[in-house]
Amino acid sequence: MSNFTIPVGPLHVALEEPMYFRIDVQGETVEHVNITAGHVHRGVEYLITKRNVFQNVVLTERICSLCSNSHPQAYSMAIEQIAGIKVPPRAEYLRAIADEIKRVASHLFNVGILAHLVGFESMFMHVMEVRERMQDIKETIFGNRMDIGANTIGGVRYDIDPASIGYLREQLDALLPDVEEIIKIYNTDASILRRTKGIGVLSYDEAIDCGVIGPVARAAGVNYDVRVKAPYAAYDRLEVPVHTLKDGDVWSRAMIRLMEARTAIDLIRQCLDTLPGGPTVATEERPAIPPGEAIAKCEAPRGELIYYVRMTDSPKPERVKWRVPSFPNWDALGIMLKKAKVSDIAIIVNSIDPCISCTER
Amino acid sequence: MNTLKILLRNLVRGPSTVPFPFAPAWTPERMRGRIEFKLSSCTGCRACEQVCAPGAIRFDKTPEGLRFMMWHNTCVFCGLCEFYCPTDAIRNGNDWHMAHAVGEKYGMAIRETIPYVACTACGMKALASAPNPAGVKPPFTPEEIEQQRNLCPACRKKALAERGVQP
Ligand code: SF4
Ligand code: SF4
Repeated sequence: MSNFTIPVGPLHVALEEPMYFRIDVQGETVEHVNITAGHVHRGVEYLITKRNVFQNVVLTERICSLCSNSHPQAYSMAIEQIAGIKVPPRAEYLRAIADEIKRVASHLFNVGILAHLVGFESMFMHVMEVRERMQDIKETIFGNRMDIGANTIGGVRYDIDPASIGYLREQLDALLPDVEEIIKIYNTDASILRRTKGIGVLSYDEAIDCGVIGPVARAAGVNYDVRVKAPYAAYDRLEVPVHTLKDGDVWSRAMIRLMEARTAIDLIRQCLDTLPGGPTVATEERPAIPPGEAIAKCEAPRGELIYYVRMTDSPKPERVKWRVPSFPNWDALGIMLKKAKVSDIAIIVNSIDPCISCTER
Repeated sequence: MNTLKILLRNLVRGPSTVPFPFAPAWTPERMRGRIEFKLSSCTGCRACEQVCAPGAIRFDKTPEGLRFMMWHNTCVFCGLCEFYCPTDAIRNGNDWHMAHAVGEKYGMAIRETIPYVACTACGMKALASAPNPAGVKPPFTPEEIEQQRNLCPACRKKALAERGVQP
């Protein structure tokens, strides 16, 4: 058997996002992986210092489309900390609802792509069709399919009336059996199990070493979820079960995402059941932001997202820095891809649900 | 087996896609689309200009008044202008049919001017903008809005104070 170096990417490894791997293979087994980043660097950290605090709510939302609610949420929480703004309870619940709606859509998307990479196109189409219900919810309640624009400094920008609560419940009721059915299929379908069980394994110890987070960590048995460890929004008042599995393979990561999607539906229902009344923003006007610095974090669909913001006397932040979940997760790809078959590369890369545009910003 | 069941069910249900452009596409009420601007409600506070991240909104002082300019092709439909506008003068409508020929691109804008008028009380040159409703209780009546519109800032304050509102 001979050695080769093959390029994978930068286009179309799993998603249509640029990520370049130089892979040394022995026959068809991966020996060494070299990841090259930077194809989609847009200079967002610079741009953010050129815009004022309020414009940045929109800019952070456009860093990534799948976590597009988590970025402005963490950013707003950091600014609120600096300004000492107390978010009203109703807004906290509405933030949690927005977060969970995005989580369902994001997780179903990733699991759907997995079916596509396995070559199970009809399943891919079906999962995407089920996810379409979430997209309709977002469009109906928030006004956009991806950039839902839920957050603002001091609260949320949307509200739900009894009619939209009814609509939301109705859609969730229709969605749940579909999600249950998908879970059953991913649990039993031979063509999915064959390509995902025991593939791209990351053990508990390796997960701790790499500092992976989100579903990737939970699939390796690491019990860490920001919603439980450091609750934000309304999560301290909700019952949030954390799902973990032991195997740390591609299948476990997909199952964690599916179980979290099901839990998210329950969390949205919990929020709707106990939704308090009152205002949805701390102040109607634009609040003044004093100099200061703060760190805030939230659980994005891909894991813990941390924001650091530093304000001076200027209305524009002096520095905003964020650590996205894909960054540590992507580092673990080196371990997951070791000794993998060439044909499994795309499946393994997709299993960390990489978000290149957040990571390279 | 489970998959076959789904396939059969989907076959029976028929297509779930919309035959657009041959039939209308479903559009929710709240969908954030093309910006609509109502000059008569605008206070000229320029909050929308300040929060607009891509810089789609610009105000310029012209000899005739304060010109509002908004470029549809620069707008990212974020809805922040609508959120911070004190009077709902600017809002996202749910029209998303914005494809256009390149030749029409300079027409994809809103250009309107809040004109200068002579204050009906003191005669000074002032912008005929709508009054800011923030903190005004009870809210302005339509007649009061028209009356305020034709006053200069100092005379507006005076009129408000007489009405029993300390601005
Ligand atoms: S919707 Fe957003 S981008 Fe468009 S004009 Fe308003 S603030 Fe600007
Ligand atoms: S009143 Fe509304 S539209 Fe007019 S300048 Fe202020 S924010 Fe903009």
